[in-house]
Amino acid sequence: MTTATEMAGWAGLQFFGRTTASVSHELKNALAIIKENAGLLNDYLLMMDKGMPLQPDRFRLVAGRIDQQTQRADALIRHLNRFGHSVDEAFTSVDLNEVLALLSALSSREVSMQQATLSTEVEASPVMVKTTPFWLLTLLGHCLSFALQVMGPSRELVVRVTKTGDGGLIRFERLEKMRQQNFPGEFEAALFEVMGATCRMEPEKKSMEIKLSNC
Amino acid sequence: MRILLVDDEVDLASALAERLYLRGIEADWVTTAEAALEKASAVDYDLAVLDVKMPKVGGLELRERLRRLYPQMKFIFLTGYGSEIEFNEASCQEGESCYLVKPADIADLIQRMKDLLAHGGGDQ
Repeated sequence: MTTATEMAGWAGLQFFGRTTASVSHELKNALAIIKENAGLLNDYLLMMDKGMPLQPDRFRLVAGRIDQQTQRADALIRHLNRFGHSVDEAFTSVDLNEVLALLSALSSREVSMQQATLSTEVEASPVMVKTTPFWLLTLLGHCLSFALQVMGPSRELVVRVTKTGDGGLIRFERLEKMRQQNFPGEFEAALFEVMGATCRMEPEKKSMEIKLSNC
Repeated sequence: MRILLVDDEVDLASALAERLYLRGIEADWVTTAEAALEKASAVDYDLAVLDVKMPKVGGLELRERLRRLYPQMKFIFLTGYGSEIEFNEASCQEGESCYLVKPADIADLIQRMKDLLAHGGGDQ
């Protein structure tokens, strides 16, 4: 018989694989753009060597693209690094505002491939909860994937962090097609169980609320 | 040869098109499958270079649509995937397409274009 912990572990592995594959794909794109535009700069220089005038505006534009893509790649690696460090401590205090920001960054490709937009709304001050950071990210990643399946035709999702007396809430909103879906599934249910978190589905409000408590 | 580049990364498609142009190859670029189909209806392309993963309609599905409309058209996929062997088996077995892994070398890309158009083969 598979235990909730084993199920949660498998869900975590799946999320880990999916996320690293997605971010590495994004990195490949950034590197491809850098390579192509660096090549284009070389082409301009070769043309100049052959007596054709160099066009500074073109040169600046292409150099700007390289700079922009380098920053993109740097941000991707930074997020991937933070994700990797989410397994450093099995149980620790995390700020839900920061967790949501990391989830949003790690999921940007998944969101854009669905032609969706994700808006996050966080508290002005940290919302601290004691939890297992990697499992929290895994759970929220599963919730986001579900939210992308049940979003409305505007393809806009809102995820909101709210502080509570003993922890915090993460609320997924604009889940227009929520009634048609079955959530949480077995993996998500296992994650909720091992984390001691609760999920409230609110079809009438087209939202889903994840409650994390310090108790 | 007349080439159509399709990639949702604008800065990749535009730079690649310019580099091909500087090497004497006419290349148009678009960022969506829909725009590619529209462009192909107006221009006779010998070959399309397709990104595999694009929002809405990906490169594999776009190839199917283009192939139905323009049976002579050849295809090169640009992919960021790590599973090249599986991708090769899945998409290039019919001898009219091949693929390159991003970031690709422009000399390799042009050679693949020439090979496909000269021999109609997709050997890796």
